[in-house]
Amino acid sequence: MNLPILSLVTFLPLAGAVLLIFVHHERKNLLRVLSLAVAIITFIFSLSLYFNFNDQIPDPQFVEKADWLGYGIKYHIGVDGISLFLILLTTLLMPIIILSSWTYIQKRVKEYLIFMLILETGIIGVFVALNLFLFYVFWEAMLIPMYFLIGVWGGPRKIYATLKFVLFTMLGSLLMLVAIFFLYSMYYKATGVYSLNLFDYYGLILNPNIQIWLFLAFALSFAIKVPLFPFHTWLPDAHVEAPTGGSVILAAVLLKMGTYGFLRFALPLFPDAVMKFLPLLAVLSLIGIIYGGLMALIQKDVKSLVAYSSVSHMGLIMLAVFALNTEAIEGAIYQMLNHGLSTGALFLIVGILYERSHTRMISDFGGVSKQMPVFSAFFLICMLSSVGLPGLNGFIGEILCIFGIFKANKLLAILGISTIILAAGYLLWMFQRVMQGPITNEKILSFKDLNKREIVYLVPIVIMMFWMGIYPKPFLRKMDSSVTQLLNRVNKREIYFTQSRKDKDFLLEIEPITTEEKNEQKEDKAR
Amino acid sequence: MNNFFALSPILVVVLGALLVLLLDVFLKKENKNYLAYISLIFLVICAFVCIRFWNKNYSYFNGNLFLDNLALFFIFILVLATGFVILLSMKYITFQDVNYGEFYALLLLALSGVAIMLSSIDLLIIFLGLEVLSICSYALAGLKRKDEKSSEAAIKYFLLGSFATAFLVYGLALLYGSSHSTSISSIINFFITESELSIMALIGLALVIIGFGFKIAVVPFHMWTPDVYQGAPTPITAFFSVVPKAVGFIVFLRLFVPYWKNALNTQAIFWILWVICVLTMVVGNLVALRQTNLKRILAYSSIAHAGYLLIAVLAQDNSSLVFYLTVYLFMNIGAFAAVIALSRKGKEYLELEDYAGVGFKYPWIGVTFSIFLLSLAGFPPTGGFLAKFYVFSTAVREGLLPLVIIGVLASLISVFYYLRIIVYMYMREPAREIEIAVENPALFLVLFFCLYGVIQLGIYPRNILVLINQAVSSFF
Repeated sequence: MNLPILSLVTFLPLAGAVLLIFVHHERKNLLRVLSLAVAIITFIFSLSLYFNFNDQIPDPQFVEKADWLGYGIKYHIGVDGISLFLILLTTLLMPIIILSSWTYIQKRVKEYLIFMLILETGIIGVFVALNLFLFYVFWEAMLIPMYFLIGVWGGPRKIYATLKFVLFTMLGSLLMLVAIFFLYSMYYKATGVYSLNLFDYYGLILNPNIQIWLFLAFALSFAIKVPLFPFHTWLPDAHVEAPTGGSVILAAVLLKMGTYGFLRFALPLFPDAVMKFLPLLAVLSLIGIIYGGLMALIQKDVKSLVAYSSVSHMGLIMLAVFALNTEAIEGAIYQMLNHGLSTGALFLIVGILYERSHTRMISDFGGVSKQMPVFSAFFLICMLSSVGLPGLNGFIGEILCIFGIFKANKLLAILGISTIILAAGYLLWMFQRVMQGPITNEKILSFKDLNKREIVYLVPIVIMMFWMGIYPKPFLRKMDSSVTQLLNRVNKREIYFTQSRKDKDFLLEIEPITTEEKNEQKEDKAR
Repeated sequence: MNNFFALSPILVVVLGALLVLLLDVFLKKENKNYLAYISLIFLVICAFVCIRFWNKNYSYFNGNLFLDNLALFFIFILVLATGFVILLSMKYITFQDVNYGEFYALLLLALSGVAIMLSSIDLLIIFLGLEVLSICSYALAGLKRKDEKSSEAAIKYFLLGSFATAFLVYGLALLYGSSHSTSISSIINFFITESELSIMALIGLALVIIGFGFKIAVVPFHMWTPDVYQGAPTPITAFFSVVPKAVGFIVFLRLFVPYWKNALNTQAIFWILWVICVLTMVVGNLVALRQTNLKRILAYSSIAHAGYLLIAVLAQDNSSLVFYLTVYLFMNIGAFAAVIALSRKGKEYLELEDYAGVGFKYPWIGVTFSIFLLSLAGFPPTGGFLAKFYVFSTAVREGLLPLVIIGVLASLISVFYYLRIIVYMYMREPAREIEIAVENPALFLVLFFCLYGVIQLGIYPRNILVLINQAVSSFF
């Protein structure tokens, strides 16, 4: 293919944002239509990634490589089975978010839409970057639009929330930057060549003692993003204060950047350190599951309830990632998509309620379903998808995760199931208090049911929920080869160390690719 | 090559200054803007000379004045900076009642001092240039004659500056006493060949560090910075924040980088600079958190940036030091330009409170100022990020990992106060109405030029990097 399709998908939103600068800020509808069009075109282009994706190849596809600044800093992007669906999730949600903000955002529409589109470029960039410099640029650059989205259009405590969000994320990512520098300089010293290519780094064999520090730096950055248990405190603030569109993108996609970071960087680059920290990380994930679920139970605000449910769900995903087997990791990726859809949808639904009532307190609602039957149906489906009802997407992901975890550690699997139980508890209880029962608040009588625009943007999500719940094969098969390769990278290195390298004092070596391994790789491909 | 042309950048600037002084007598007060145009013309000539002399390596006075590529590059860059400052001043000096002809003359004379310092490889001549620069600076700081703060700034700057100069001269004397020369190369040679540690020479070197440490405003020699920055007329503050700092670092580069590469007994000086570097980053950033005056915030931020630059000196990394200084020029002058933009006749808005709501009221000022602040904070894809990337990555390669970790955490602190300004501009409702003079094409020219610089250097700085590599590889 001659068309640089991946660059197109990545930078089209940015081009759209530049276009919007030249539209007068009073022409709000033109602005909205234009940005919606850009988002939809981006989605259509990204679909071609899906259809042209070859699921037999574990390595990135649609690779584009160009020299940029020298010294190993290259423009190098590509998609593999792990990132493919995260990109599709982003491009699918963006038009939905723009539609959902159609009337909700009345002030400073132009700036809002510009920041949204810039954000989309930043997020897709993170998922496609294969050069560590490029990855870091997108990873950081994405913070700026998010900072403005929360800070300008957010709720009453927006400034606190947005600064906390930025500073927390920066803390992690700056330490990761130092670790990247360290890898960069070690690679240069070992080979005499500057490189920031991720695949060059996959071939490194690092001293386990150094790996520990590097892994900690990377893991901290990603753990804050996920967020793993003790680093989660920014999340409820940011989610609650952000405008609906911001919350959706934050929950649906931004958190996935953390888990993606573990899969793409932390696990395959530092496999020995991973083995060392595995128990700790698993326990932290588990605490996150239970803590997030319990916190969600006692929330009075619907939005912060959904926010804490994110902490709980992301805990399960992390637990599955650390189980390190095919089922678990595929389940984790699948669950990342599910969580994106279902939590995104729940935030949209909270937004719909807030637009009508200007409150988010559970106690202010009751009996809404009588007034808004169509809305009630959508709410029910999204809520059940988050709970993990069989037939909906959440079930497949959770069951895969639990199976995988069970294979690795039975106790953890049993405790991990509590995420589903707790989710059923807080979500059903919330649904009951908000939607059912008698109408207690007179304001509810004036609520109008969903209008066409709202139905239009909820329907695709619901379709995806059913499709992914009933026929997950097209999704899972595309992941297989990449996930297998990832696990090979993690496991093979461990064997290599335990056999021959244990006592040697060294910094780093380049992995010698033997003919045996090459054959194996071919076999993998053939499989 | 011995050639009288080596003097031409200095002579052009001095000639410009003298012409401005002369014409000032004949021009009426309303027509003083012509002086700015004349100064700009001479700056353009000087820049042109720099471009023509690239790779020529002219020298004069038995090689004591030496126009290598490094000197040319920085004369060009600082001519650019002075040009920006003049453009920023054109409206400002009529607004703030500092419309004296000597304003431009002093700026050009200061620049001539800079040119002398940059093109010299003899510490005594460097000292000469430094004095020219300093005396002009003292006068410039106090130009707002009726303003108490400005006079305070001038006096403070003068007293502390003279004190620092005294240290410098004493240090030079000690260095001369031990190495029998004031030329940098002989001093370095002395340190390389001397097998025993000479306490006198080391003390001399330490005193020289103090003298220049004052100019580049590193902790603990930074006390004058916030007050002088606050009191001086704002375009002059922009000048102070960039020009003396850049020159000071170039002298550091000429003096220390070859010295560490070759000499044996260097630990003491290295650790002194190491401690200064850490203190500068930490104190600069921490104190900036508590400031509410924009000029003071930018003053402390410039202190902090001196710390990051010192990392490059410690890593002996010439090209990233030069790149950082280049980026710093654009982002810092840009930030000051945005601050100057928020002023009208007889009034400047300098408190954080004044900035509430500015972002939406004056979108172009808001957007450009935000980009400069994000660049200062080191967010990609701006030049500030790339500059930090180069400095930190080579520092890690040179084994300065602890320093880099401290630097990175310090820049995390800095994110807070840079973002706080943006918070005020975009996320707070205006507490009081402010009114500014919007028609100021010269200022907007500077804003957009700096914006272009920051983004170009952040996304595709290859051509500049090639020039920088030529510049640093040529110096003796």
